[in-house]
Amino acid sequence: MTTAATTRSAPSHLTRLKRRTGGGEALVGFLLLGMLVFIAAGAPWIAPHDPEAIATGRVLGPPDLGHLFGSDALGRDVFSRVLYAFRVSLSVAIGSVILAALIGVPIGLIAGYRGGRVDAMLMRPLDLLLALPALLLAIALIAIIGPGALTVLVAAALIYVPILARVVRGSVMVTKQMPYVDAARARGVAERSVMIRHVLPNSVGPAVIQGTVLMGFAIQIEAALSFLGLGAQPPTPSLGVMLSDGRDVLTQAPWVEIFPGLAIAITVLALTLVGDGLRRRLDPRGMAR
Amino acid sequence: MSPRLRYVVHRLLATVPILLAMSLFVFLMIRLVPGDPVRTMLGFRATDENVATIRTALGLDQPLLDQYLSWLGGLMRLDLGQDFISKVPLTELLSERLPVTLELTFLAMGLALAIGIPAGVIAATRSKRTGRASTAFVVASISIPDFWLGIMLVLLFAGTFRLLPPSGYTPFAEDPVANLRYMILPILTLAVAEAAYILRTTRGAMEETLGTPFITFLRARGISERRIVYQHALRSAAVPIVTVVGIQLGVLLGGAIVVESLFALPGVGRMIVTGINQRNYPVVQAGVLAVATLFILLNLVTDLLYGALDPRLAEADA
Amino acid sequence: MSAPLGTPATGRVLDVQRLGVRFAVQDEVVSAVSNVSLTIDAGEIVGVVGESGCGKSTLAMAIMGLLGSTAHITGRVELLGRDLAGLTVEERRQVRGDRMSMIFQDPLTSLDPAFGVGDQVAETIRAHRTVTPAEARARAIGLLESVGIPAAATRYSDPPHRLSGGMRQRVVIATALANDPALLIADEPSTALDVTIQAQLLSLLRDQRDARGMAILLITHDLGVVAQLCDRVAVMYAGQLVETATVEQVFRAPRHPYTQALLAAQPSAGLARGSLRVIGGQVPDLSDPPPGCRFAPRCPLVRPECDTPPELLAAQPGHSVACWADPATHPGAAATASSTGAPRGAAA
Repeated sequence: MTTAATTRSAPSHLTRLKRRTGGGEALVGFLLLGMLVFIAAGAPWIAPHDPEAIATGRVLGPPDLGHLFGSDALGRDVFSRVLYAFRVSLSVAIGSVILAALIGVPIGLIAGYRGGRVDAMLMRPLDLLLALPALLLAIALIAIIGPGALTVLVAAALIYVPILARVVRGSVMVTKQMPYVDAARARGVAERSVMIRHVLPNSVGPAVIQGTVLMGFAIQIEAALSFLGLGAQPPTPSLGVMLSDGRDVLTQAPWVEIFPGLAIAITVLALTLVGDGLRRRLDPRGMAR
Repeated sequence: MSPRLRYVVHRLLATVPILLAMSLFVFLMIRLVPGDPVRTMLGFRATDENVATIRTALGLDQPLLDQYLSWLGGLMRLDLGQDFISKVPLTELLSERLPVTLELTFLAMGLALAIGIPAGVIAATRSKRTGRASTAFVVASISIPDFWLGIMLVLLFAGTFRLLPPSGYTPFAEDPVANLRYMILPILTLAVAEAAYILRTTRGAMEETLGTPFITFLRARGISERRIVYQHALRSAAVPIVTVVGIQLGVLLGGAIVVESLFALPGVGRMIVTGINQRNYPVVQAGVLAVATLFILLNLVTDLLYGALDPRLAEADA
Repeated sequence: MSAPLGTPATGRVLDVQRLGVRFAVQDEVVSAVSNVSLTIDAGEIVGVVGESGCGKSTLAMAIMGLLGSTAHITGRVELLGRDLAGLTVEERRQVRGDRMSMIFQDPLTSLDPAFGVGDQVAETIRAHRTVTPAEARARAIGLLESVGIPAAATRYSDPPHRLSGGMRQRVVIATALANDPALLIADEPSTALDVTIQAQLLSLLRDQRDARGMAILLITHDLGVVAQLCDRVAVMYAGQLVETATVEQVFRAPRHPYTQALLAAQPSAGLARGSLRVIGGQVPDLSDPPPGCRFAPRCPLVRPECDTPPELLAAQPGHSVACWADPATHPGAAATASSTGAPRGAAA
């Protein structure tokens, strides 16, 4: 008796890639994100016009081949402006999350690993930071320090430190129970080494996911603060400021308002997709929010 | 004391240090400004004399602890000082503006729950296609900046269709209909993103519950699907929903600040933003204090709701 | 609210004819149940026994109509003479919990943690009978007492986690019997419980059967339970029925090689050390099962005919077996090892 030939064939490259990234949509998200980062980095070379160049002849011109997103109230090319502003927004978003990680991850690692008194001592002050709504805290900080893109970066980072610390701490508390940690200790590895070389790499999964989520928030926070006039100040370009300016000409030239908003939406969308995909692969327990 | 009561007391007591810490932070705000806050506030009108006068008037020349205590004392008497520019007592300002922010926040959350929960139930119980459509809606709503959505809504309803006013406000007590006409777009703006989060949470919790064995046993007993979904599965979803509401309240309050500025609503959020732009620190302080207190109290309420919903949580925590 | 089926206390309660269940999982088709036929009369306790994954739970769920849309069911299931496939979805729901009930293995996860135990019994009553809440409550209390829960009135509102495992399973039984069903399907009801509680539970089931005259389909992997409780037993392997008989017949003189191996593999006190008999080979992959008898790859009596599925035929009154090598059903078959030597599965 021969068994029937199996109907399964080896998975195609596409299927493998899909599985690697955590799903079809996540793959789209990754590609999109890659493209966006590339565009942001290459803005000076990609932008067809000087974003500050005023052209009174083209005031409120609709989108056409030369000006993909149309022109604003001063005749400036919206597409080029969006590119440069996007660069700033993305830098702030990435910068804030990296800064938050540099502070929050070690705190969470130590708090989760040591536990007890150290844990309480480290986490309590961070919890107090969580007692304020995020945007309010950012606004309060800006009130103190003064507006600007850098302030937004620092403010956002400050808001994110407790969140990242908490996520890392939770993850560490699970990882430190793992047998391989005990095994390392039994081999006589120093505590600090155990923490850094064994526990940390296995705990960062949920933190990475939380990071992508926070990046999405950061872009929105930066836009909101700039919209209120509290973020990036002229001459620094900003998507939020563009959204604020666009209101004045909303009915005559909606494209001035639509495209910066779309840029934000697409970026956050890409980050959400990536986050969801990573969640499936790295965080089956759902420790990231 | 019963465990439930102990839980309530615990939570109430835990709130006090948070409120104190927050008040300390707000108190320090003006004093953390680099340089001389009084000079910054006065701007180009600063002269050595009026700087000194103002400084004494604001009590900034006293030792720090005395300042804090007298400020706290003022809080207890509901005396927050004055608006630096208009000289209007801040308590009066807040009492005018806080209701606007409250109306906006609560109605937005209410609308979000009214849309999000049923939508989440539908997404969890209908076909795969509805499921995918709802995922798409959720992802899109979360990605779009809410104030951009607000502007688009203004474009649509105030610009193209001329149905609703783009900005302005009438207090509810004066004219309820006009009040709602002004508030619909701001409320809708905030509610859409919130509804997405609530939909997602409801759906997730429902799907998880509907896969558990006790649901199968309910079906095995011939209980109607309707009763299973609404009486049993939705009950289990209540805790995650309350959780997400608690988390989102902070986001909503932040969003309210932006939306107030967008729609020119005379709320506390807009007061804070204007205050910053004018370097009107007392106003900023009062506003931040008010919103932060509101947030902390709302969180207390959600925590208490938890204890009521799931007795096991209360018993474990006490 | 009356059920669409009558309530005879005698006669054939369940008639399953050639039931097959296939699942479409991604790009594969899993044949979980194949060509299963059995009958249960009122007052009988029939056990379906087999190892984990043999399809007995799937069989039970298929009879109850609790499998999802991924399941493709063939064959016929008649309850009290009525073909269940002919009923609408709503009619099937009315039958469940009323004319036929099912209980599951783990009582803790079977009950809603947020509801009181008494309420859950009452809920089942109110789903199928028009009664006032007070009446439902009274009946529920009566049911709880009849399954041996003391002080039922005071414990009415207790949530499940306040009761012990054995008590919880009694509550589960009470909810299942609330409307006096003609058939009770019990899927491993005592497996999650301590041995002493197990015995109590099984005798409870027997008492209920005696009192109500209902039929019970008992799913289990434990031959000891079968011996204690069942009148007849059906042995399942890899989705197929290999033997049906009375309990006495099966234990005294099992005819199918799998049944024989199963009985021989039971550890018993008299065996010498190190002499546990195991069955060589592995259970087949149900997405790609053998075309004929599914036990063939592991069977010591395998022969060429085994490539076609054997029918379940009566070797004696009440004792049927599906095996080409059985001399009573296939005269002329030599009940000895085939000429090809070792069982085919050993080489795989």
